[in-house]
Order: sequence, then C-alpha cells, then structure tokens
Amino acid sequence: MKKRKSFKSFFQSFFADIKKNPDALKSAIMSFFIMGLGQLRNKQKSKAAIFFLILVIFVLFEFLTGSYTYAPREMMRYPADPGSTIYFIRDYGGFILSGLWGLFTLGKVPGGTMYRGQFVETFNRVIPWLTADNSVTLLGVGLIALILTAIFLSFWVYNIRDAYVSRKAELAGEEIETGMAYVKRLWTDMFPYIILIPTLIMILFFTLIPFLFSFLLAFTNYTYRIPIPNRLIQWVGFDTFKLIVGDAGWLSIFGQVLGWTFLYAIMASATCYILGMIQALIIESKYVKIKKLWRTILIIPWAVPAMITLMVFKNVFDTAGLANQLLYATGSMEQVSTFLFNIGLQGAIDNPIFWLTRVYNGPLAKAIIILVNLWLGSPYFMMLITGVLTTLPKDLYEAASIDGASKWQSFRNITLPLILRATLPAIIMTFTFNFNNFGAIYFLTGGGPDWPRELVPTSMRIMGGIPGQTDILISWIYKLSFDNNAQLYNVAAVYSILIFAFVGFVSVYNLSKSKGLWEED
Amino acid sequence: MKPKFTDVLLSILSYSWLIISAVVVLVPLLWMISAAFTSGKLLSGVPLFPDPSRFSLEHYQFIFSYRSNPAQALADFPGAFVRTLQIAILNTIGVAFFSVTTGYAFARLRFKGKKNMLLTMMVLQMFPSFMGMVALFLLFRTFGFLNKPNYLALIYTAGSIPYNTFLVRGFMRNIPKSLDEAAAIDGASPLQILRMILFPLIVPIIGFISISAFMAPWLDFILQYRFLQPERMTVAVWLFRTTDPFNTLFYNPLRFMAGALLIAIPIMIIQFFMQRYMVYGLTSGAEKG
Repeated sequence: MKKRKSFKSFFQSFFADIKKNPDALKSAIMSFFIMGLGQLRNKQKSKAAIFFLILVIFVLFEFLTGSYTYAPREMMRYPADPGSTIYFIRDYGGFILSGLWGLFTLGKVPGGTMYRGQFVETFNRVIPWLTADNSVTLLGVGLIALILTAIFLSFWVYNIRDAYVSRKAELAGEEIETGMAYVKRLWTDMFPYIILIPTLIMILFFTLIPFLFSFLLAFTNYTYRIPIPNRLIQWVGFDTFKLIVGDAGWLSIFGQVLGWTFLYAIMASATCYILGMIQALIIESKYVKIKKLWRTILIIPWAVPAMITLMVFKNVFDTAGLANQLLYATGSMEQVSTFLFNIGLQGAIDNPIFWLTRVYNGPLAKAIIILVNLWLGSPYFMMLITGVLTTLPKDLYEAASIDGASKWQSFRNITLPLILRATLPAIIMTFTFNFNNFGAIYFLTGGGPDWPRELVPTSMRIMGGIPGQTDILISWIYKLSFDNNAQLYNVAAVYSILIFAFVGFVSVYNLSKSKGLWEED
Repeated sequence: MKPKFTDVLLSILSYSWLIISAVVVLVPLLWMISAAFTSGKLLSGVPLFPDPSRFSLEHYQFIFSYRSNPAQALADFPGAFVRTLQIAILNTIGVAFFSVTTGYAFARLRFKGKKNMLLTMMVLQMFPSFMGMVALFLLFRTFGFLNKPNYLALIYTAGSIPYNTFLVRGFMRNIPKSLDEAAAIDGASPLQILRMILFPLIVPIIGFISISAFMAPWLDFILQYRFLQPERMTVAVWLFRTTDPFNTLFYNPLRFMAGALLIAIPIMIIQFFMQRYMVYGLTSGAEKG
C-alpha cells in the first residue's frame, strides 16, 4: 500500500511540474521527435549536435544494414504468394528492425517451402530473403538488436529529460552550461565508463547475452526434435514450466535431484569446513612441532588441479581401483562390504564393491562424492582458518584464563565465534560454489548410477534427459542440453532460470551484506 | 602431575590424527605415480608398493610419439599441449589487461551504478559458462570461430574478469589515495596515474592473476570438448578421452595417470610458489577484520 501511494504522488508531482513549465515542456517535446532539437532551442549547440549525431548513427545503421533500396523493384518482380503476405521487414529490414522482428516471431519462412514463388534454401547467397529462417539464430541476433535498441532508447529518454531540465533551469535564471563546457564535463564524467567499455562488451557478448539467450529458450519449444532450419521453433509462454510442474513423474525426479543438490551443497561445505577447522586447530596447537611440514603435506590436495583429482578418484573407486585393492590387500573386503550393506549404503553384499556404478549403490556413490570433495576442499578452509587464527587477539585469552575459564570454554566462547564471524561469507560462497559444482559430479561419476527403471516416469523415458542418481541440478542441465537424444534445451533453460534465481539471490545477499567490500574511503 | 598426562595424550592424539591425514592425502597420489609407470591398461595391475621390476615408460613413449593421423606434425599429446599453451598465453594477456583497467575503475573512480555493476559481475561469474553454451556455440559459428582453439580465450577471459577485477580492486584500495592525488595535482591524467603510479605497485597481484589465468585453460574441459574437433583437441580433452570407458580406442586409465602427472606437477609447483597470494585471494573474499 505504502509503495503505491508514493508511486502515485510521484506522478502527481511530475504532472504538476509539467503544468508549471509549459515552455520547458515544449523543448522536451521537440527532443521527443528529433533528438537534439530541444537542445538547439535551448541554445546548446554542441549538445544538440551530439544528440542529433546519435540519432543519425542509429538510423543510418538500420538503413545501411538493410536493403530498403532493392525493395520496390523486387516487390514487383516477386509478388507475394496467393493467400499469403510479404514479410517486408524480414526481407528488407536492417539489423535492428529485422532483428526485433525475428525475436518477436522466431521466423516465418522455414527451409524447403515456397516463398514469393521461389524455393527457400538453407542458405541463398544471391537473394538473402530466400535463406530459410533459422529460429535459433534469429533469437540470438534479435537479442543483440534488442540490447542495441535499449541503449539507444536510454539515450533518447536522457535527451528528452535533458531538454526539459536545462530549459527549466534557464528560465529559473540559473546560469546555463554552454555546449562546449558540457562536452568537456562529459569527457571527465564519462571517463570511468569509457575505460570500462571493453570489459562491458566482453561480458555482454560472452556472459550476459549467452545467459539471457538460454533463459529465453525456456519460453520456446526448442528441443532436438525440431530440425532447424527446416522447421521453426515457437514461443510457447509457460508451457515448458507447466510440463515440468504438471507431470508427477518429472516433479518427483526433480524433487529428488533438487534434494540431493541441497544435501550435497550443504554436506560438502559443512564437512570441508569442519575438517579444515580441525586440521588448522591441531596444526596451530602447542602440541605439534614442525608446523610448516604438516601444513605443506595437508595443502597438497589443493595444489593438485581439481579436474585431475576427480578423474584420479574415479579410478581409485573403480572396481579394479585402489580402494578395492587396499581392501583385498588388508583382507577386510568382506567385513567392509557387509558393513556398508548393514548401514544401508550398499544395496547388496558385493565382492568387489561397485563404488560408483550399480543401480542399488546410489547412496554409496553419494557418500563417495562427499568424501572425495572433502579430500579436495578441506585444505581451502584449513588455510583460511589458519589465517584467521593468527589474527585472534591474545589478550582476550589471557583475560579469560585470569577469570578462570577452562581451555574448552575459551575455545567455545572466543575462538569459535571469531572464526565463524570471519569466515561466514566464505562459507556461503563455498555453498553457492558447491551448488553449481558441475565438475565434482561430471568427472567423478558422470551422474551415475542410473535410477531403477521403474522410478523413471514414462514421459521422461520418451523425451530423454534422464538424470542419474548422483546428478545435481547443474549436471542434469548439462545432460538435458548436450546428451545425445536429450537436447531438451527448453527444459534445461527452465532449470537454469531456477538455479540462477536461487544462487543469484544467495550470493547477492551475501556480497551486499559484507560491509568491508563496499565502504568508500 | 595430571596436566602433564593430558598434554602427552593430546600430543599423541594430534600426531596420530595428522599422520592418518597425511596418509590419506598421499596414498592416492603415490598410487597415481605408481600407475603412471606401470605398463598395460589394467588398474588391477598397478602395484600397491613401488615395484622396480615392473617399472615401465610405455605410457610416456605413447604420449610423446602417438599420432592419430600420420600426417600430423606433432604427436597427439604435444599437439594438444601446444594448443592449450596458446590459449593460456592469450588468456593471460587478456585477463591482465581487462582486470587491471576494470579494477582501477572500480577502486579509484567514482561513477553511477558502480556497486550494482560489480555485484552483477560477481553474480554472473557464479555460473558455469556452459549454461550459455548454446548461444556461445551460435556466436562462434556465426563468426567462424568454431574449431579454432585460440578464440576460446575470449570466453575464458570474459568469464574471469569479474573475480580478478575484484582482487585488483581490493589490492588497489590498500594503496594510499594520496599518491594519486599528488600526481593529479601535478597534472597527471587518470590513465597516466594508472600507468605510472599504480601499475608498479600492483605488480604482485597482476602476477597472481596472470598465473591463475595461465593455468585455467589446462583444466577446463567442457568448452574445449564441445567447440573443438578431435584433431584440434586440447590437453583436458586428451585426458578425458583416456578415462572415458566408452572410448574403446583410447581408454586407458594408466595412460591417463601418466598424462595427468605431466600436467599436474608443474601446476603443483606453481601453486606452492603462489601460496602467499592465494591466501590473499581467499581472505579478500572474507570480511575485513
């Protein structure tokens, strides 16, 4: 309610302001139609020139990338098919207009059909409009066109606002900035943006646009069943979401994957943290000599590249691997296998143990993943906490021991809270990292073992993209996108959006909470 | 007498814990080394204890001489090594350039939307690049970059700008601002301040991000696997191929161990030398004080 009111009052004051300054409104309206015209009226020539130039560049870009000049002749020569129309913007529009058209329609003319009396090919070098519409390309190009348009529109809005505000200031008798002074100020003001432009372009093209593109796929029907460009993909709104939520089988598999993703992310972070803390406390304690040696040994796993570690462990837990060999060598294979069966990790008493493969060994594979992750990840926290331990204030402990606190008490009440507070952001960061820790699953188990067949819903068996028992969301998304016969891009995109929303929320919260990062000096 | 006894007990406990940890850490690695020098392709044939009589350089011979296509100038592995090296060098240059300029803007300049921009960048880098891979593939196809290893550096660079920017920014903020101000009074432009005053002072962090950037392409797999044909494969793809049981021609876990050792050892050495900076990188993510 409160927000609405302030919104309303914003509009009220906005219109009241306009009513009071009809002359300034006139400048704004002039700039509305032609960029820079209002500024010219305000006698700011250089500023007017800049805005006008932006308009000219934008219009010229559209015109020169299009083929408007060919249009009249060709429309006479190749008229529309009876009962159908000519898609003028598609055939002759420039980058911006045809891009927006493509984004909106995802194409109208698939390959192998007749259009304007001609045969549409996958690629036609001579007549561009006889090239088939490739919906995926159109979506990508359209996205770029949309972003360029948005940039242009923000200049346009700025130009209108500027015309209004400058005129108002001038009428109020304030000294108005000359156009030249404005250009100079612009250069210094803009310097940060100018230095950032290369970075922004890189991130825009190689991170942001690809992500946006993936998200948009969620609202289409794009799967491997659509042979592009001979068929078109379509906007289907929330149909994919409905399919996933509406099908009980999908929902239950999704629930299990999501549950395991959370369990994995929490367990992986918590175990690494606890073990890392224990190692750090022991090494830093007064009972241990040659601290540097121990630290160096225990840091080794962190120095080995993770991908290599994971693949090595895939071999360690192979049926012929180190784990089983050790069990045989020590003669404890039978006991261990029985034990794993009794605590429910193994589905049968095997000899040798199938650590990562058998259908009934899902829980065992999950336990192994967490253990391997512990091997990989605990040195990080060990180093982090060692660092924190060296900064702990000594006088606190002295005061505590004078007050008669036991060692355990001073650990519980001083050391632990201080460590926790200093490392909390790192814990959350590790959690979000593990939530998306694709490699830990892909290189170790590849998502296996499979689900028992009776648990897989029929719809999933038909469509493909069945996750394994150890797949977390991100590795399932990979399977959904790139497994042969499972390229359900739209379903993958829906889950991507989900992950993005969740992980994005947690990390924004985490980053914006930590004050040290933002304070300006 | 009692406290003495607990001291002894605790030190025994501590040492036994550390010894067990050290064994758990070292055994898989020693086994890996042992496997790398064992002939054949059976994991079960790898001796648990080093056995000089079964020492073999078979896998290294394969690594340095096998050509899947006789016309290749280089053997498979060295070829993959050279391609990865090229990506790594390009990535290093790109990352150093972009993160220094961007880090400078975020550390020293005032502009609108600074916090949100940094936050957006930090969030974007939380996601693996394959989430946008369909689009990246399209982009690469449109520009004719597919199957050209060097262009992958573009994606790696873009992906690692945010975190490295964050590091450079943190490092620069510890340099007193009075230095810049003095230079500005003497008439230095912002770019001159960056080049002549700040750059010499941030060399350590540039060294760190350059080395991280250099190491990244050796260990990323998915992009290289999807964007390059087998004849242009990289080290990571080579390694993965040897551990993929469905790849009957190349599957050989022992060969994998041999190749992995070749890559892991230099990286481990670098990591150990970079430890100090690593800790800095880690803790800068944590809250100050």
